[in-house]
Amino acid sequence: MKVLLNCTINGEEQSVLADTRDTLLDLLRDRLGLTGTKEGCGNGNCGTCTVLMDGAPINACLVLAAEVPGRSITTIEGVSADGALHPLQQALVEHGGTQCGFCTPGIVLAAKALLDENPRPSETQIRHAIAGNLCRCTGYGKIVEAIAAVAGSAAQEESR
Amino acid sequence: MQDFIYERPTTIGEAIAAMHADDARALAGGTDLVPQLREGRRRAAHIVDLKHIPQMTEVTVLPDGGVQIGAAVTAAAVARHPAIVADFPAVAESAQLIGGVQVQNRASLGGNICNAAPSADGVPALICHGAQVLIAGPDGTREMPVEAIFAAPGRTTLAAGELLTAIRLPPVAPNSAAAYRRFTPRREMDIAIVGAAAWLRLGADGLITDARVALASVAPTPIRAPAAEKKLLGERPTGGLFEEAGRLAAQDARPISDTRGSAVYRATLVTVLVARALADCGRRFGFEVAVA
Amino acid sequence: MSDGAELAPALKVIGQRLPRVDARERVTGEARYPADLAFPGMAHARLLRSPHAHARILRIDTSRAAALRGVLAVVSAVDFPELPVGAMIPMGELGYDMWMVAQINMARRKVHWVGQPVAGVAAVDAHVAEAALALIEVDYEPLPAVLDIASATAADAAVLHEHIFTKGIEPRPRTPSNVCSRIVIERGDAQGALAAAPATARLSVQVDTAHQGYLEPQAVVAQVDSNGFATVWASTQGQFTAELMIAAMLGLPASKLKVVPMEIGGGFGGKIAIHGEAVAVRLSQKCRRPVKLVFSREEVLQGGSGPPAAVLIDIAVGAGKDGKLTSITGNYRLDAGGLPGLSPSLVMQASAALYQCPNLNLQGYDVVTNKPRTEAYRAPVGIQAAFAMEQAMDMLCQQLGMDPLEFRLRNASVTGSTMPIGTPFPSIGLTTILERVREHPCWRDPLPEGRLLRGRGLALGYWRGTSMTSAGHITIAGDGRPMVTMGAVDLSGTRTTMAQVVAEEFGLDVEDIHIHTGDSKSVGYSDGAAGSRVARTMTAALVEASRDALTQLRKRAAEKLQCAADQLDYASGMFRARTGGAAISLAQLMQATLTDGAIIGRGVSTKLPLGVEIGAHVCDVEVDDRTGLVTVLRYTAFQDVGLALNPAAVEGQMEGSVVQGLGWALTEGFDYGPDGRLRNASLLDYRMPTALDVPKIDCVIVETPVPNVPYGVRGVGEVPIVPPAAAVANAIARATGVRVTRMPMTPERVLTALKRVRASEYST
Repeated sequence: MKVLLNCTINGEEQSVLADTRDTLLDLLRDRLGLTGTKEGCGNGNCGTCTVLMDGAPINACLVLAAEVPGRSITTIEGVSADGALHPLQQALVEHGGTQCGFCTPGIVLAAKALLDENPRPSETQIRHAIAGNLCRCTGYGKIVEAIAAVAGSAAQEESR
Repeated sequence: MQDFIYERPTTIGEAIAAMHADDARALAGGTDLVPQLREGRRRAAHIVDLKHIPQMTEVTVLPDGGVQIGAAVTAAAVARHPAIVADFPAVAESAQLIGGVQVQNRASLGGNICNAAPSADGVPALICHGAQVLIAGPDGTREMPVEAIFAAPGRTTLAAGELLTAIRLPPVAPNSAAAYRRFTPRREMDIAIVGAAAWLRLGADGLITDARVALASVAPTPIRAPAAEKKLLGERPTGGLFEEAGRLAAQDARPISDTRGSAVYRATLVTVLVARALADCGRRFGFEVAVA
Repeated sequence: MSDGAELAPALKVIGQRLPRVDARERVTGEARYPADLAFPGMAHARLLRSPHAHARILRIDTSRAAALRGVLAVVSAVDFPELPVGAMIPMGELGYDMWMVAQINMARRKVHWVGQPVAGVAAVDAHVAEAALALIEVDYEPLPAVLDIASATAADAAVLHEHIFTKGIEPRPRTPSNVCSRIVIERGDAQGALAAAPATARLSVQVDTAHQGYLEPQAVVAQVDSNGFATVWASTQGQFTAELMIAAMLGLPASKLKVVPMEIGGGFGGKIAIHGEAVAVRLSQKCRRPVKLVFSREEVLQGGSGPPAAVLIDIAVGAGKDGKLTSITGNYRLDAGGLPGLSPSLVMQASAALYQCPNLNLQGYDVVTNKPRTEAYRAPVGIQAAFAMEQAMDMLCQQLGMDPLEFRLRNASVTGSTMPIGTPFPSIGLTTILERVREHPCWRDPLPEGRLLRGRGLALGYWRGTSMTSAGHITIAGDGRPMVTMGAVDLSGTRTTMAQVVAEEFGLDVEDIHIHTGDSKSVGYSDGAAGSRVARTMTAALVEASRDALTQLRKRAAEKLQCAADQLDYASGMFRARTGGAAISLAQLMQATLTDGAIIGRGVSTKLPLGVEIGAHVCDVEVDDRTGLVTVLRYTAFQDVGLALNPAAVEGQMEGSVVQGLGWALTEGFDYGPDGRLRNASLLDYRMPTALDVPKIDCVIVETPVPNVPYGVRGVGEVPIVPPAAAVANAIARATGVRVTRMPMTPERVLTALKRVRASEYST
C-alpha cells in the first residue's frame, strides 16, 4: 500500500510517496529518481547499492523504506558538492579506478566512509573497507591505488 | 512480497503488544529478514522495528563487570565497544565476521541469534562465554543460556509473541581466554563452512580447569563439543592436546553435505579450527603452542 | 615500455595514460544504464521461467494473469513467429543461430533448462507483474534430464533435439544425438610420437561452469510509438546484432526499430545475444506503453543468461630428452548447455598454438545438456583449455627436470611458425615476452619464506579474437573540432582510446574530440564489442575517417588560401602554405565555410589482419595444507599488446581479466542439483573475488606491432583470463607436489587432492 515518508536524503528533507514494500533502494531509484545507486543482487551480497545511513555504509537493498524516517541518507548524488568532485571521485578518475562504472557509486561511498573515520588507512584497511563491494572489471588494483592516493595526499596535507 | 504493516514501538511493552498480531516478525538489522521476505522464504503481515527501543540498542557494562548487549545492537557497535574488545575479544572478532562492512553496520547480534542459522558467526563465542539471552513476552521475562534458544535451522524456542531483548555476558572469568575461528573460501562475505570457538580457564599451575568448545555449521543448531571439552580438562596446554581435542570435536559434530561443503570436509575443518582456536587462546594467555 | 620497432614520428596522444573521457559520469552516478530510465506510463515486465530442466510444454493459459487488475499485456511463444531450425542472422563469416536465440528468449513447445522463459507479463508495477506470474498456468510433461556430458552421451540418454545429428563423423549418423559436432585438428602422427617419446605427461581435467559475473543484470526498456517504430534501450555489447536478433524474433523489418546502446555494467561475452529485449518490445506493442524489463540476480544465474561452458579435457604431451615437443594430443568435450552452437575448434587451436610441435591430434566435441545454453566469457573456453594444457606442459617440465620458462622458450612459436590450423603465424612476440619474464623480479626473486607451503607457477595464454567489421564517421563542428560517431559499443574504454586515435590523427588534444557510440540507425553497421576487436578495428575505421575528413578539409583550406592542396602542410589543427606564410586553423576554416557544406569523413574496416593476443603469467601461491585454502601472494601478467593506445586502459583490462580468471580458478563454480536447479544462484554462494582475495596484479606490457594495421594495435581484453587457473594450478603443484584437476580448485578439492596423495596424514 502507499505510504508517505518523511526522509532526509543528501541533507534535504523530502516527503516521498512510497509503497510499504519498498526497500530504501526502491525508494531512491523509483520514487526519488536518484538512480546513481544501482542494484546488483538485491540481497546484500555485492555492495553495489551502498549508501551512507547516518554516515555508515550500508546496503540499501536490505533496508525497508519505512525504516528511513529519522535517519540521514547520503547517496552518490550527495557526494560532490556544488559540482566539484570529491577527492575520491577525482582520484578514481585519474587512476583508472572505474571501467563499466556499475560498482563505482557504491565504492565511492564505502571509501568515503573509511576516510571520514580513518584518513590514513593502510592498504589492508582499504581492502577491508571495500571488501563488501564487488567489482568485476578492474580487479580492484586501481581502485585501491586511488583511495590510497587520497589517503596519501591527506598525509601530505597533515605534514605541511 | 506480501504487504505488511510496519510498526515502530519505543518500549519493550509496546513491542510485545505489536508482536501479538498474526504473522508478526521482529526487525532489527534486516540483513536476513528483508531478503527472506522479498524472496518469499518468510512471510510477515506485521513488521515490528526494534531499533527505537533504548534497551534494545544499548550496550551496558553491568556493576559486576558483565556486559549486556541489546538485541538490536549492530555487529559493528559490538565489534568496537571498548568493554567487549577488552574483556570479550572473541565476541568482538566474531561480530566482525558477519558479512562485510555494510552488513556489519546493520546486522545485530540478536538477529544473528534469532535467525537461527546453524552457521551464525556470532553464536559460538557467546556460548563459550556462558552468555544468557533475556526474553520478554506477554507472560513476563525469562532468561536462559544462549544455546537453549536454538530449536532447528531457522527456528528458535521462543514462544509466540516473545522477543529476545538482550544478550548478557557474565563477568569475564579470571585467567580465561576465548577465541573464534571460522573457515570460508573467500576472506569476507561468505557464510562459515565451519566455525569453532574455544574458551579455556587455567589454574595457577597452568593446567586447564575449565574448557568450552562450541561449533557452528556442523549440526542443526550451534553445539558444544563435550568430548573435546572433557579431554582438555586437567591437562597442560600443548599442541598435541589441542589437536586431539580437535579430533574429538569432529566426532561430536554431525555435519551434513551441502553446496558449501561435504560432511567429510566439514569434519576435517572442525579438527583444524578447534585446534587453531585453542592455540589462539594460548596466545591470549601469552604462550605459543604449535598446531598444524 | 616499447619492444617493437620504433614508430616514427613519435606519438603525442596515443600511448598516453589518459583518464577515461567518460570517467566523470561514472564516479558521480550520472552514467545511465537501461534500468535507470523512467518514462511516463512505463510498465514493468517479468518473465515466467521453467521450473523443469527438460519438459514438453503441453499448454499455456495466460487468461487469469491477463485478467488481473494492473496487468497490461501477457505473451508467450504464440506471440512470436516460429523460426525454422537453421534460421540465421548475419555475423562475421558464420552468422549466428537465430532459431537458438529465439528459444533462449521464449521457449516453444519444449524447455531445455531450469529458468528458460516460457511467458512474459507487463504490468503497472513490479508487484503486480510478480503476482501475475503466479496466475499463468503451464502444463508441463517433465522429461528425463541429462545434466552432464557423461549422462548426455550415455547410450540410453534422453535426446534433447530431434534435429541434431552429429556433424563431423562419417558415415553421417541416422539417429539424433546430444553430440552436436566432432572436430579434428591433426598433423603428423601424434599417437605414434607419443608412444615413442622419452618424456610424457598425461592429465584429465574437469571444469565446472562459472559465470561472467557482470554486476549489472540484463536490463532493457522498449517503447513502440504510434507509427509502430520500436526504440530499444539496451545493455548490449552490440546494438546492430541486437537489432538483427530482435527484428528476426518479431518479424519486423529493420526500418521499424532501432537499438540504443546505453552504458553497460559489464558484458564479458554474456550480453552479445539478446535476453529479454524482443519480449519487451512485443509487450510494448501489445500494451502501447514503454516497458522496462530488468532481471534479478537470481534470474541471471538461474537460467536467465548464458554462462560459459563446463568441460572435460584430456591432454597427453610428449617430448624428447632435449625438451623439444614431439606430440600433443587432446580430447576436448564441451558442455554446450541446452542448445547447440558452441564449437570446440577455436579453443583447441588456441590451447596448442604457442607450441612448435610436428605431431598434433586434437579432437573436440560439443554436447548439449539440460542446463542454460552457454555463451562466451572472454576468450571462450580458453581458460578451461589452458587449465589442462598448461598443467600438462608443466608436468612435462617436471618429468624432464627442465625449467618451465626454458621449456617454453625451447618450444615457442615465432612469427611464421605453423599454427594448428596450418597457416603461418603472423607477427608475434612470444619469445620477447618470455625473455621479459626471465629478466623480471617476479621470476628471479626467490619465493619468500612462510609458515605454509609456497610455490611459483608459470602459464601461457593465446587468443585469436576476430576482426569482422567496424564503421565510424567524423564531422567537423563549427569551431573546427572533430565530432566522432563510432559504431561499436564501448566495452573496454574505447571512447577514450578512439578519441586518442582521432586526436593523434588531427594533431589535437583529446579534449578537442567529441565521441559517442551511435545507435543502430545513426551510424554504419558495426559488429559488437567482443572478440577483442573494437580497439583495433575501430582504430582502422577512424583513421580512415580522419584522413577522409582531413582530405576534404585540405581541399577547402586550399580554396580559402588560394593555393594548391598539395602545397599545404597540416599540423596540430592548422593548415599552412609552404610558401608565402598563409595559414588557417580548423576553427577559422569552419567558421568561414560551415554553411558551404558538411565535412563528413567516413571509415569502414573489414577483415583487418588479425593481431593475435599472447600472454605469460607468473603466480606465487601459499597453500594451507590442512584446510586446502590457497592464497595468491603475487601475480604478474605479461602481454603483447602490439601498441598500447592507453597503457592505463590496457592495464585495467589485464588486471580485471586476471582477477576473473583467479575467481574461476579458486572459488567460482556452478553447483547443479539432481533436478537441474542451480543450488548456488546468489552472489553469496557464487563466490566472486573480493578486494581481500586477490593481490595487486602487476602488468608488464610488451609491444610487437601488427604489420599493415594502423598503429599496430592488437586485441587486449581476452587473453588475460586464459592463463590464471593454470598458473595457480602449476604454483600449487610446485608448492605441494600435487596436481589439482578440478576447477574451481576450491579448498575442499585442494585438500581432497592433497589427502589422496598423503593418505595417512589426515585421518579425522
